[in-house]
Amino acid sequence: MKDLLTIKDVEKSFSGVTVLRNININLAEGEILGIVGENGAGKSTLMNVLGGVYIKNKGSMTLDGEDYNPLTPKEAKDNGIAFIHQELSLFSNLSIAENMFIEDFPKKKIGGINFKSIVRSSDEYLRNYGLDIDPKEKVENLPMGTRQVVEIIKSLMMNAKIIIFDEPTTSLSKPEKEKLFETIRGLKRKGVSVLFISHIIEDVLTLCNRIAVLRDGGLVGTLNTEDANQNEIVRMMVGRELSKVYPEIEKEIHEDPVLEVTGFNQGQTLKDVSLSIRKGEIIGLYGIIGAGRTELAKAIFGVDHIDSGTVRVNGHLIDSLSPQTCIEKGMAFVTEDRRIEGLLMSKPVRNNITLIKINDILNRLGVINRHVEKEFSDKMVDSLKIKVSDADIQPMLNLSGGNQQKVVFGKWVINQPDIFILDEPTRGVDVGAKFEIYSIIGQMAKDGSGILFISSEMEELIGVCDRILVMKKGRISGEVVRKDFEQETIGNLAL
Amino acid sequence: MKVKAFIQSNTIFLLLILAFIVSAIFVPHFTSSYNLKNFLLQSTDLLLIATGLTFIVLNGGIDFSVTSVLALGSVVGAYIMALSPLSATPVIAIPVAVIVMIAIGGTVGAVNGVAVTILKIPSFIATLSTQLIFSGLAILFTKKVASRTSIFGLPESFFVLGGEGKAFLVPIIIALFFSALAYWILEYTRFGRHILSIGTNPKASFISGVPVKRVIFTLCLLSGLYAGIASVVLTARNQAGISSMGDSMFISIIASIVIGGTSILGGSGGFKQTLLGVLFITLINNVMNLMGIPWFITMIVQGLMILFAALSDFIIKSRKSFFQAVS
Repeated sequence: MKDLLTIKDVEKSFSGVTVLRNININLAEGEILGIVGENGAGKSTLMNVLGGVYIKNKGSMTLDGEDYNPLTPKEAKDNGIAFIHQELSLFSNLSIAENMFIEDFPKKKIGGINFKSIVRSSDEYLRNYGLDIDPKEKVENLPMGTRQVVEIIKSLMMNAKIIIFDEPTTSLSKPEKEKLFETIRGLKRKGVSVLFISHIIEDVLTLCNRIAVLRDGGLVGTLNTEDANQNEIVRMMVGRELSKVYPEIEKEIHEDPVLEVTGFNQGQTLKDVSLSIRKGEIIGLYGIIGAGRTELAKAIFGVDHIDSGTVRVNGHLIDSLSPQTCIEKGMAFVTEDRRIEGLLMSKPVRNNITLIKINDILNRLGVINRHVEKEFSDKMVDSLKIKVSDADIQPMLNLSGGNQQKVVFGKWVINQPDIFILDEPTRGVDVGAKFEIYSIIGQMAKDGSGILFISSEMEELIGVCDRILVMKKGRISGEVVRKDFEQETIGNLAL
Repeated sequence: MKVKAFIQSNTIFLLLILAFIVSAIFVPHFTSSYNLKNFLLQSTDLLLIATGLTFIVLNGGIDFSVTSVLALGSVVGAYIMALSPLSATPVIAIPVAVIVMIAIGGTVGAVNGVAVTILKIPSFIATLSTQLIFSGLAILFTKKVASRTSIFGLPESFFVLGGEGKAFLVPIIIALFFSALAYWILEYTRFGRHILSIGTNPKASFISGVPVKRVIFTLCLLSGLYAGIASVVLTARNQAGISSMGDSMFISIIASIVIGGTSILGGSGGFKQTLLGVLFITLINNVMNLMGIPWFITMIVQGLMILFAALSDFIIKSRKSFFQAVS
């Protein structure tokens, strides 16, 4: 097979800081190349150079034998390079057909969009890819997996030769994931090349022909999948042997419950949910997407209203449930989406870390003791190993995903809560940072906190939790204790 | 590199100095002590009212009703000092009038606050309505008590607050004091931190236990109170209660805030910026006035300046969010 794309000695730096150096990668026609690396290793930057978002400083790229130097994303697109982002770029308030043709609507003679024709051709495309859905359906009504496939079809419609996938599996359920892989293999058979960026090494091993590993902006090496195994890839990614995936922390579970939730009802989303967490206990909450896990977390924390139900912390009833009262009673909530619900993205690290703690470092006039504030924030940056050049001025936007997530943890941990509600705390976080987050969770439990750990990754729940609750259609469908942990049992309760 | 960064973060300050130098050289009478005094006095009420509104803008909201506070405060205050039974004893009438004028600001602010936080009406609509209501009330009130549109005959000692004669530093000190107070609140208090965090991300702030509603209510109140204080200063300077006071002022207020560099989208900016913006806008108005440029040309110039300032803010923000999306 001939090489479709060659990247040679590419280098990129931002204001003097080199973020990519000496990258040499080639991609053959109809090949699936996996690109792995920790957060901040340079995967996204490399893809942005390819996609015309950033312009490289050094090196050369050739596409189909010709010099390739995209200056804008449009130029990259015209050259047949499509980019499927982590956050999908479909317009959820429009129909599938409108989305597929949004860049170039066919017009009627008298002006106006020829809707009949776009619906007809969209229908044809969808059928070709085995999707039996109405092209007039609004995108917001589609499950995540289907949306992704729609986006893939859209890029194929525009004659993409190379499709770049950025962390495509993070928000997919298992069957959706398998379907996506099948679609990607189909692309390969058609001669389309794929660059597959992922944190999840298993996925890369299952799907890709070759795997390129990046670390600190440089290429560590490229492996043939047959010769690769998980341990080796992890070692290349982090530059050391990661013997343990989950930390071992000796801790004690006390008798007294720290959190008791009883009789939670909320419309169609929550039905008679009750649970209790003891001091020092880590409880997993598993379920498929739409089972009501996030809704439950938000309801317990008073973010959303409930129809009925009570919450007791250390035996005391919380009168009016709101984030404020919950925080006062010693609860913490790491939300699923850190950009939308967790952080002040344009503000510096320090303002984020001390947002809650600030209540304790005031004098009587409400004036912040900046000295103490700085001490607290520096301590958190240190103890959570948050990589930041200057916590006082560097905005959250400039931090990598893993470091952003550590800041979210930091702003709650600093308050030493008794109860920790964690909604997908390791999503979009690399292997090394995951271990650190598990360690933080374990340490909090050891210090006597009760933890509710929501995750779609069953393995991590099995690795970390003392007990796993499973939700299904708004109800708790079962409970499994540590000695009975088994993927199949838990999976069956969820489906 | 450093020079560039300095220019970027101090654009408005440098522009102000430049405009001042150019005016001093080319505009006749600009540097006369009469004009400079006038220039400073003109900026006092604008500074007070723009500072109050900056609180709301930092939070991502808007308050159109501030100009109605100027009018209503002015005529009610003037009535107390010139026409009411109290007017016979200025020693009592003046403090009562000042308190009532500021309280009117507080009342309008509280009404806005209830409308926005409890009735959940967007501040754009809520304050547009209250602006109309209280401006109308001001005219109605004046017609009832004075059968005219203005009330004259205020006690002379009240004019001290407007900078009459030797007291010209009084309003300047008042305005600078309240501007500095606002700066202190924003930079050093928890309340200030809460304003910025809600302006940046209301949802994350709510989940982090920030009392979002209480903060927004307090901001509405503050904006009203500052407008009330501005009403005192402006009435004293005009030496009359005028029911149309502040009618055409809103554009200058918004222009000062936006040109200073506070983002109309909330979350960034501050009171130092508003102070610079106020001086800049007052300077432009003053110079145009001295040069005999008709008011409609001043309008066009102000419009262009706002457009330019807002554009640069939006461009920077949208570029940021663009990089956010791709990286």
